Amino acid sequence: MKTRTRYSKLDALTAWSFLTPALVLFILFIVIPTVAGIVLSFFSWNFFNEPKFVGLNNFAKLFDDPSAWSSLGVTMEFIVLGVVPTTIIGFMLAVLISANMPAVGVIRVLYFIPVVLSVAVSGVLWVFLYDPRQGPIAAAFRAFGIQIPNLLQTQSTAVPALVVMMVWLALPIVIILYLAALQRVPDDIYAAAALDGAGAWRTLWSMTWPNVLPTTLIVAVLQVINFASSSLDVSLIMTNGGPLNASRSLGLYSYQEAFTHQDVGYASVLSVLQLVVIVAIVVVGRVVTSRSSK
Amino acid sequence: MKPGKIRLGRYTTIVIFGLIIALPLLYLLSGSLMSYKDIVQYPPRLLPSSPQWDNFVQAFNYLTPQTIGNSFVFVGGVLLIQLAICLPAGFALSKIPFRWTTIIFALFLIPLFMPTNLILIPTYIVTFKLGLIGTFFGMILPVAGQASIGVLLFRQFFASLPDGLIEAARIDGANWWQVFTQIALPLARPIIAAYSVITFLTAWNLYIWPLLSGPGTATRVLTVALAPLAGGKFSSISPSISFAAAVISMLPVLIVFIVFQKWFTKGVAGSGLE
Repeated sequence: MKTRTRYSKLDALTAWSFLTPALVLFILFIVIPTVAGIVLSFFSWNFFNEPKFVGLNNFAKLFDDPSAWSSLGVTMEFIVLGVVPTTIIGFMLAVLISANMPAVGVIRVLYFIPVVLSVAVSGVLWVFLYDPRQGPIAAAFRAFGIQIPNLLQTQSTAVPALVVMMVWLALPIVIILYLAALQRVPDDIYAAAALDGAGAWRTLWSMTWPNVLPTTLIVAVLQVINFASSSLDVSLIMTNGGPLNASRSLGLYSYQEAFTHQDVGYASVLSVLQLVVIVAIVVVGRVVTSRSSK
Repeated sequence: MKPGKIRLGRYTTIVIFGLIIALPLLYLLSGSLMSYKDIVQYPPRLLPSSPQWDNFVQAFNYLTPQTIGNSFVFVGGVLLIQLAICLPAGFALSKIPFRWTTIIFALFLIPLFMPTNLILIPTYIVTFKLGLIGTFFGMILPVAGQASIGVLLFRQFFASLPDGLIEAARIDGANWWQVFTQIALPLARPIIAAYSVITFLTAWNLYIWPLLSGPGTATRVLTVALAPLAGGKFSSISPSISFAAAVISMLPVLIVFIVFQKWFTKGVAGSGLE
C-alpha cells in the first residue's frame, strides 16, 4: 500500500512535467487573454495610461452606437449567406466524389486545392476577378451586354462578393469531413433504396443526408465560427470594411477600435458581443436541429 | 442497366466540377505568366501568349527573399513548439494515471470552439507586456499556445494504443519518458505527419497575428507583405505581377499539400471532433 502511494506520486510528478510546457503556453496565451478580454471590457484604457474602471459604461455605449449594430448586421450577413451554401454544396460535392472508381483519388485533389490559399493570396486573385474594367467576371457579363459595377466597392454587393470567395475557400475542409462521414454510412442502405426504386436525388436526401447529420452539425458549427471570424481577415485585406462600412463586421470594428482609436475597453465589449452572437447561434441551431430530428 | 455509360457520365461530372473549383487557382497560375496586355485582354484569355518569367523577378520588388525566410522561421517555430508541447501533453492525459486528467483535459477543450480572433487584442497586450512584440518569439509563442486541437488529437491517438503494450514496458522497468519516446512516439508517426501538414498550412497562411506582432521588415512574413497588393494599395502594379507574387507566397504550401495530401485529409477527418 505504502509503495503504491509513492509510486503514483512519481506518476503524478511525471504527468505534471509532461503537461507543464503545454499548460504554460496555453495559460499565458489563451486563458489569460480570454479572462483579460472580459475584464478589460469594464475598463477605459488606451494601451498607455493606467486602465480606469468604468463599470458598465462601455456596454452602455454599445446601445447608443449605431455602428455597433450595423457591424453586428454585417457579421450576421457573413454567417447567413455563407454557412448554408458551404454546407450544402460541400455535402453534394462530397457525395459526387465519394464514388469508388479508379483515379478518382487523383481528381479529388482539384476539389481540395483551394485549401492551400491564404486570404492574402486569394484576395489578390479575387480582387482582380471582380475588377469591373479588366476582370474576367465583368468580361463574362459584358459578353451579354451587361455592365457590372465593382462588386467589392458597391454597398449592397460587397459582403456577398466576399462570401462567394469565402465559400470557395471553405469547401475543401467541408468536403473532406463529409467524405470521412460518407465512408461510415453502411452500403446496404443504398441497396435497399435501389430495391425500392428510389432515384439518385431521392436517395441523396432521404438516405444519405440523414445518415451524415452528426457531421452536418459539426460542419455547421465550424462554419459559423469560420464566417464570423475570418470575415475580419477578408475585409481587412480586401475592402478595409468599405464601402461606407458595408463590409465592416464586428471583428473588424473591434479591431479598428483597439488599434486605430486605442479604445481597448470598447473594443473588448465588441469582442464579447461577438462571442455572445456565436454562442447564441450555435445553441439555437442545436435546439432547432434536435427538435426537428425528433 | 449500362454501368459503363453511367460510370463515364459520373467521371465527366466529377472532372467538370473539379475543374470549376480549381479554375480560379489555375487562372492565378496562368495569369502569373501573362504579360500586362494578355491579362487585361478582352475577351479574357486562359493561357499566356508567351510565358513572362520576368514577372517573378519583378514580384520580388514586393516580396523580398527575407520575407520568404521569415515565413519559414515562423512556421517552423510554431510547428516544432506545437509538437514539443502537444505530444507529451496528449500522452500524459491518456496513459499516465493521474488525478487531474479530466480537469486539465477539459481546460484544453474549452477554447476549441472559440475563434482566436476574439482574443486578438488581449493576446497582443500579453505579448506586449512580455516585451515580445516585434520579435519572432512574439509571433510564434502565442500561435504555438493554441494547443487545443493538437492535445485532443494526440490524446485520442495515444488512448487507442493498447494498455498492455505500455504495462509490459513498465514491468520491464522502463520509465514514462522511455515509454513515451521509444514506444509511443514511433507509433505516432502517421498522426504526427497529419498534424504537421495541417499546422504548416494554417500557420503559413496566418495574416493578422503576424501583422500585429511582427510588422517590421526583420520579421515580416509573406502574407503580410502580399496583403497590400490585394487591397489595391499599389494601383500602378500590373495584375500579372501581383499574381506572380501570390504564386511565390503559396508555392511552398502548394508543394507541401500535393506531396502530403493523404496525411492532410486524414488529419482533417480525424480532427472532425467526433
